[in-house]
Amino acid sequence: MANRHREFLERGGRVFAISADTAPMNAAVVEKMALPFPILSDTGRREAITPLGFADEKDPREISRPGAAIISPNAEVVFSFVGRDYADRPLEDVLLDELGALGLPPTEQPPPELGEIQPGDKAMPLRGLGPYYRGAKFAALAIRGRHRNLGDDFGDDLKGYVEMVDRYLEALPGVEERKA
Amino acid sequence: MAINFTVTDAAGKSWTLSDHLDSAVVLTFQRGDF
Repeated sequence: MANRHREFLERGGRVFAISADTAPMNAAVVEKMALPFPILSDTGRREAITPLGFADEKDPREISRPGAAIISPNAEVVFSFVGRDYADRPLEDVLLDELGALGLPPTEQPPPELGEIQPGDKAMPLRGLGPYYRGAKFAALAIRGRHRNLGDDFGDDLKGYVEMVDRYLEALPGVEERKA
Repeated sequence: MAINFTVTDAAGKSWTLSDHLDSAVVLTFQRGDF
């Protein structure tokens, strides 16, 4: 979403990421990825993650499911997508269409403020993301090739996953551009 | 149904949804530990 942040603003939407991580961990991600929007911290998942339906009750790390919600200026949730797992995320084009349908004037969003920066123990350095994404992509392609007999649902799921990873790979140069 | 909540931003300050509804708010939920 960072590379297309301007498109969200043009449709009257300010972007805020949210996770169950601490503020210093979120600050580390904002800095690493040069995000143009903040990451908010809901460490107990009580304030927003659970009430909005994004708590991942199966994962013992007490995290959020990936996904997105659009909240209109009258505080109504007008769109929500809750991912099934870490490989299931909303398409930016879908979010932009839903946001555009609200007919709002353009808006602006200041760069995020950061306090203490402290990456999590498992945080991946930026230079590791490209190899990580490529490895995930080729593993998915190999599995898809092995199990073509499993039908369209399986194949479509893997195809969607590979397309998602390709979008992440395409977005990586944008991080370097924002840092420059 | 109207919602509101308060969380913490990356500078350690309170962030309340109702303070930011002069536009739409697009929340992107992250698993974290990234």
